[in-house]
Amino acid sequence: MKAARIAVEGNIEETILDFLKKAMDKKLFDAILIPMAVPAGDSYAWVLTRDKLLLDEASSFPPIMSVQGAKAISSLTKRGKTNKKIAALMRPCEIRATIELSKLHQVELDNIFLISLDCPGVLPLKDWIKDPKRGADIFKEVMQHFVGGDLTSNKSVRPACTICHRFSDNGAADLHIGILGTKGEEIFFIPHSTQAEGILAALDLSLGDDFSSWQNSVDGIMEERKRKRAQVQEELKTKVVGLDHLLDAFDNCIGCHICQRVCPICFCRQCYFDSDKVKHPSDDYLMRAESKGSISILPDKIIFHLGRMSHMALSCVGCGACEDACPMSIKVAQIFSLIADRSQDLFNYIAGKSLEEPLPLRTYEEDELQIVETS
Amino acid sequence: MEEYWQPLETERNDVEEKIGVYICECGPNIAENVNIDEVTEVVSSLPSVEVVERHKLLCSEDGKKFLKNSIQEHGLTRLVIAACSPKQHESTFMKVCEEAGLNPHLFQLVNIREQCAWIIEDKEKATERATRYVRAALRRIPYHRPLEKREIDCNPDVLVIGGGITGIETSLLLAGPDRKVFLVEKTSSLGGKLREFEKLSPNMESTERLLEQKIKDIEKNDNIKVYTDSEVKEVLGFLGNFIAVVKSREDDEEIEIKVGSVAVATGFDLYDPMKDSRYGYGKFDDVYTAMEFEKMNLDGKILLKNGQSPKSVAIIHCVGREERGYCSGVCCAYSLKLARYLKAKLPNVKVSNLYSELSVPGKVYQKFYEDTKCMGVDFIRAGGIEVEEKTIKYTTDDGKGKNLPVDMVILAAAIQPTGDASKLAEMLKISLDKKGFFTEEHEKLGPVSTSMEGIFIAGCAQGPKNVVDSIVQAGAVAGKILSSVIPGKKLEPEVRTSEISEAFCVGCQTCLEVCAYGAIYFDEMKRVSVVNEILCRGCGNCAASCPSGAASLKHFTTTQIHQEVVEALR
Repeated sequence: MKAARIAVEGNIEETILDFLKKAMDKKLFDAILIPMAVPAGDSYAWVLTRDKLLLDEASSFPPIMSVQGAKAISSLTKRGKTNKKIAALMRPCEIRATIELSKLHQVELDNIFLISLDCPGVLPLKDWIKDPKRGADIFKEVMQHFVGGDLTSNKSVRPACTICHRFSDNGAADLHIGILGTKGEEIFFIPHSTQAEGILAALDLSLGDDFSSWQNSVDGIMEERKRKRAQVQEELKTKVVGLDHLLDAFDNCIGCHICQRVCPICFCRQCYFDSDKVKHPSDDYLMRAESKGSISILPDKIIFHLGRMSHMALSCVGCGACEDACPMSIKVAQIFSLIADRSQDLFNYIAGKSLEEPLPLRTYEEDELQIVETS
Repeated sequence: MEEYWQPLETERNDVEEKIGVYICECGPNIAENVNIDEVTEVVSSLPSVEVVERHKLLCSEDGKKFLKNSIQEHGLTRLVIAACSPKQHESTFMKVCEEAGLNPHLFQLVNIREQCAWIIEDKEKATERATRYVRAALRRIPYHRPLEKREIDCNPDVLVIGGGITGIETSLLLAGPDRKVFLVEKTSSLGGKLREFEKLSPNMESTERLLEQKIKDIEKNDNIKVYTDSEVKEVLGFLGNFIAVVKSREDDEEIEIKVGSVAVATGFDLYDPMKDSRYGYGKFDDVYTAMEFEKMNLDGKILLKNGQSPKSVAIIHCVGREERGYCSGVCCAYSLKLARYLKAKLPNVKVSNLYSELSVPGKVYQKFYEDTKCMGVDFIRAGGIEVEEKTIKYTTDDGKGKNLPVDMVILAAAIQPTGDASKLAEMLKISLDKKGFFTEEHEKLGPVSTSMEGIFIAGCAQGPKNVVDSIVQAGAVAGKILSSVIPGKKLEPEVRTSEISEAFCVGCQTCLEVCAYGAIYFDEMKRVSVVNEILCRGCGNCAASCPSGAASLKHFTTTQIHQEVVEALR
């Protein structure tokens, strides 16, 4: 691995945007997919632009994740690959979800150049929407602390972000931009594809071996986050193990299915659990009510979550979009991550780590078929 | 594909249903352990049940006649039979339905023999369980929908890939006035590896005589078209209707061949002893593989590099056995044959066989081995073999190191799959086992069939074997093809196939990857998966793996199964 070091001019964000503008000048990209503040200034949305001047308005580190980036790329390339070269600047969890969707043929990565960033996390939407101005200030602080390798602002970001240990370079993007390790004086461009190397060369950025300060800072945060993740999951486990606990955990679910709507991995045109296949004649419900005393209506609340979990746990990237969107503040992301981590471990699989790793449930291995004898 | 557009689930029919329930006593098998009268009583009161009857043996001629008459007499629209395993008599009763004018898929067989009477000792409990299962079937059956049989034309012609003894034999057995055989061989002549052999063990008869006769028979046969110097480039289609593209290496021309079945008889390669330095192959002069020695013998030139005849020869057995992980089962026998060649041509030569285990099974080989031994051929049980210049180091059973000076070394190498087996497997959508041989459908139940209907394997392509076993497999393949692809007969493809809803399919292509029959393709324009209903065997893999429920299996829809399970668990 090698990296190009660039001195920060202005601030980190401006330096990154400047890089993108130069790349557009040299026609290295035809368009950029990037978050941008909405005109009212109280939210952020993905924009696809071929106008380099508009990049001044863009944001490489939006304080919130209104739409998971993988969904943006999917809506762009669902009907086939793009013929123009598009660079997409996204957070690592968005990149990882994009890789998963590519394996599921919901994203066509030809001509898409993925750029990931060291991610400080995002603010919960519910906190942000109460007071976007204050949110912007808080995020500034989050950013400052993070760049300095300091996690005291962890309390302000999404719960999923506070325990995220894949916040930095996962090797899945074409190019990773490291912002840690120099207290904001320099940033690191780490290429992972020959295309990325070509782009850095075209912009006269030479690669060197000296990026240990970045690596050390990443490792430090990662250790801390891993520790925290294990601790949080250990605590959570006691609250969700067994059907009774699980029912409690999802007790106040209102069945809006927004967790599924915002999940980048829930890519189905219509969720199976919204389909007619899970709707039954009223006699069925009466029969169930009769045998149990009563049943809750809307029915199948827990089946929805368990079903969704079984469908997407192996590809879950733990981005936290589901929990962020839940109007009832159910710990969806934390519960799902707990299951996702363990299911992915079973198959030695890390969702979104590499395009080359096949999806576990699609791989047939004869070795799996063994006679199990129980005595 | 009309059915493609039909709704996925048939709603409960508004037409008044008349369901008949028939309970088979199966002689004493069911009657003794299930209280059939009690089942009858419970079931009679359920909605839409028109008639409940019991019978001594429904699968008997008398039983079938009774069933047919009863269906017609009561004007039944749906049928539930409680009897044995569907594996045994589902098709029997489906035929009765057809004769009675009832669509056979409007029938459900409940297994109250294997799953109740035979396994539950307590009669009361067995009766309770049987009642429960019949209720479940009654709950399910209104959701069945009629499935119509289809017939497709069937091409009786056969593509045989590989012109060795197995391919030759298969072709000769199959070719006839109403069945053409296309025999494709990649080298310039038929005969395969056997061309290099002077004789065949154990009778030491001339290979040439056997082979030339068979090749003459092929040439004489107008119904066999031979393509030498040619390779199969592509095979598309399914049982009864394959299209193969054969490319000639000579003129680069591609020919399209239409056949109904394919026999793969691509033979083997010999293990390359270069991979194991202790055999000195490629390093020292006068170390040969068995095939190289066969050629020397055939050419009548068993000579050392220096032009002299060898005075002592060692044949090393089991070369590559450890590395390949199996005993090829033929090397010991052919090593004996090589020793016989040597003794016949150079009566004074000293021949030593270095072996670790001898494998000469069968009714004739013991004598062949003993006779060879009597000719003065040595057999030495040797371990830790190292070939050096004109000598072989080895250790005896009791661990002593020994040196055996020899002029010539012959390596009895293992049989391994041909280099292009994996390419061919991918093209034919059949699988390879861990060792790289083509996998049979079942070791005992389908030793020459594959996971693709209409594609068969024979000879060493399936695994190491001798000439006799290869010829036997050629016969087996011919038998399979003769009985399944009959000229003029129509094929009835499975009707309980999968279907994929265009409206729900999100194009993730998971189904394509789990389909073992290559029965699903992706429509790039619509960006949805589509089932080829003729290739589909109705295994349900796609339905199980589809995340959005777009894929479903006819006759095993979610609703049908759900309704059945709900009632069974009530």
